[in-house]
Amino acid sequence: MPIVIAAAGKPRRKVRFSSNQTSQAIAQRKSRQPSAPPAKTYSMYEPQAHPGVPDLYQELPRLLDALCTETSELQQETVEKCRPFLQGIDPSQVGPFNRHGVPSLRQDNHIGYLYDSLEEYPTGFASLDASRPWMVYWALAGLCLFGEDVTRFRERVISTFSRMQNPTGGLGGGHGQLSHCASGYAAVLSLAMVGGEEAFSLIDRDAMWRWLGKLKQPDGGFRVCVGGEEDVRGAYCSMVIIALLDLPLALPPDAEARQHGLETFASGLPEYLSRCQTFEGGISGSPGSEAHGAYAFCALACLCLLGQPEETVSKCMDVPLLLSWLSARQYAPEGGFSGRTNKLVDGCYSHWVGSCWPLLQSALDGVQSAADPRASTGNLYSREGLTRYILACCQSNHGGLRDKPGKHPDSYHTCYTLTGLSMAQHRHYHTTSSASSNEVLASAFSWKWTPITASEDTASDQNVFDEKDRLTASHPIFAIPHAAAESMHVWCQQHPVNI
Amino acid sequence: MEGKYASDPEWDSIQPIPLDDGSESGAQPLATIAYASEYLEATSYLRAVMAANEMSERALKLTEDIISMNPAHYTVWIYRAKILIALEKDLKDELEWLNGVSLKYLKNYQIWHHRQVLMSRRDAFPTPPVKEPDFLMEMFAQDSKNYHVWTYRHWYVRHFKLWDAPREIQDVEALLASDVRNNSAWNHRYMLRFGPRDDEPDAGMQNSGGDPSEKGRLAVVDEDVIDAELQYAKSKIVRAPENRSPWTYARGVLRAAGRPLSEWKEFTGKFVIEKEGGVEVKSSHAVEWLADVFAEESGSGQEAVRMLTLLKEKYDPIRSNYWDYRIRTITGSEVSASA
Repeated sequence: MPIVIAAAGKPRRKVRFSSNQTSQAIAQRKSRQPSAPPAKTYSMYEPQAHPGVPDLYQELPRLLDALCTETSELQQETVEKCRPFLQGIDPSQVGPFNRHGVPSLRQDNHIGYLYDSLEEYPTGFASLDASRPWMVYWALAGLCLFGEDVTRFRERVISTFSRMQNPTGGLGGGHGQLSHCASGYAAVLSLAMVGGEEAFSLIDRDAMWRWLGKLKQPDGGFRVCVGGEEDVRGAYCSMVIIALLDLPLALPPDAEARQHGLETFASGLPEYLSRCQTFEGGISGSPGSEAHGAYAFCALACLCLLGQPEETVSKCMDVPLLLSWLSARQYAPEGGFSGRTNKLVDGCYSHWVGSCWPLLQSALDGVQSAADPRASTGNLYSREGLTRYILACCQSNHGGLRDKPGKHPDSYHTCYTLTGLSMAQHRHYHTTSSASSNEVLASAFSWKWTPITASEDTASDQNVFDEKDRLTASHPIFAIPHAAAESMHVWCQQHPVNI
Repeated sequence: MEGKYASDPEWDSIQPIPLDDGSESGAQPLATIAYASEYLEATSYLRAVMAANEMSERALKLTEDIISMNPAHYTVWIYRAKILIALEKDLKDELEWLNGVSLKYLKNYQIWHHRQVLMSRRDAFPTPPVKEPDFLMEMFAQDSKNYHVWTYRHWYVRHFKLWDAPREIQDVEALLASDVRNNSAWNHRYMLRFGPRDDEPDAGMQNSGGDPSEKGRLAVVDEDVIDAELQYAKSKIVRAPENRSPWTYARGVLRAAGRPLSEWKEFTGKFVIEKEGGVEVKSSHAVEWLADVFAEESGSGQEAVRMLTLLKEKYDPIRSNYWDYRIRTITGSEVSASA
């Protein structure tokens, strides 16, 4: 399940920005118009699967136990719900379908959905009151993936977050709410995306640093807020804030963790994350809980902030065990990822699990030359399966993407399925060339990418999306465009905090 | 503002702090909510009492009111916990109230942290409340894999040192009896049997401080426990051989004992039957197990590759890239620094 409360935002008023689009975007959009009727054929009795869909994505696994339990029933229901979508024959699917039997990404609809998701929600959505920073982040990150210009939201982002900031440091989910690392994370990422001096300087970095010091725990981990729970979300969100804002790694003098011998935010953190690996190989939210895809991402991304993955990940994790668990998250015929053993696929894990892959593959490949990456391990999961699940099962007719067929779309799932799709379309690697002069964080700001093109297709690893459906690249640690993360960090390095 | 707080003499002394969402700046804030007037009023009073750090009965009632309108409001839960402690309220009453709220909002994060905060008070709960396991089982009856509830239960076991409490293993077995595929219950079982205890730092596996390949290895092994747990896993595997959970559990058990996977070579062989003209496979997990056994044996590399190829081509082809990687690692054609 999602680690934050997801929003299902309907009904909302339509707000579009078509007049502001670049001519290139409009030209691209035009080329997306269906030019041929969907390549669907129907027999007299039941629709036939699209010929481009391999059996793997249509048939039940070869081995299925007879014993029926709640888990197997839910799994079977899910497969039956997904199957017509994977075959390209569900009546609700619009297409057009490509030669692989995969429907196009309905970009206009999703872009419209994301713009709408930034506007006002009706009274029934009070439960989102503490998640508004997330709503802003999900929409902006999703729009960036489509190449939309989100700088137009700069003033509105600034006005949104200005009243969420507390004088004692950090940001809460809204005016008068306690500072929370997730709100701070979503705010900092959003400010990085809209960019500009006014956005970069909105956060009181000195106060943020002092407040983060209160979250650091004697065991090396972080609480999510003062008085709140301690888990790897706390660690990941805090370290992302520290990295992007270039805050001092040293703990503030009055941080209680200092009394336990810790001196920096990184102290004891690799050890804490190491203790979150479970006997299954995956990583849990806190030591002793069950391995879970969303927490695995938080932990791995956190390790990749603390140094080069081949060092930090290999030092803390039993990598073969982790690989085995991560690989087992992908199911057939669905093609998508589940978050835990014996749980169902969910579109949001396209990011949580999907973004673990470049981090782990980079840990295996080691640092690359920026000019001439020689990446050798290759993709260890099925990009084809994931792409099929996202495009065939997760797209909602009226815009937005969802957990699975039968569920409503929301901006959480829209953002994270798209981030996962982007991950499946690009190769990510860390290099010797960093945008940061900070020694510890240098690796985190050294990531580069190349598009994976159809010319590299092999039998087991091929592109099943059309070139027009290629999204922009997203940073595998920060989950925003590389340039946005780098600009904010570089600006902050040029404007050091006076502490 | 006209509302129940504004018209209540009990609240006369409070000057509410109205919502400032940033719209005064001239730029329309994003993702705003058309709050109900009741919610707007209550949260205005919340801002005011929190700003004054008021620890009072009326503030406590206010938190309950806001929770009923938005249980995902983490701030109000943390404030509530603070008031309860400051006013030395009876935390057993609070727990009773919380039970009802928990059953109503099954997916809520804050509730379970709040419960942990209450339960961690040694003055109120020097020993585990008798009804606690019953309540947790009631939760599991609604959602047997609820991550927050399992995380809380793990904390509860550790806090009260209940690793060997009969009720813990009974509940795990009851849950596995009703659904042998409940991986959360398997995880809890592993932590009861093999998790770190007492003053050792908590961890998913013991011995997590050194070489990662040594994680899970016990310092002191009770071979009887190991044998019993392996037997338990076998009894569950035969019910549904394609269920990943008990296979992974058994790997964890052997790893804890430092015993080799080859110990199960005969058992796994029952699910991978060599026949004239092919192999009859009853469990893909047994195939993977045999691949690992062969990979460890000297001179059996080809057999390992044969098993991995079965997985790649027939029994788990969605993971073919991973199986290929495993094959490359075994055949030594892997040029990179492989794991």
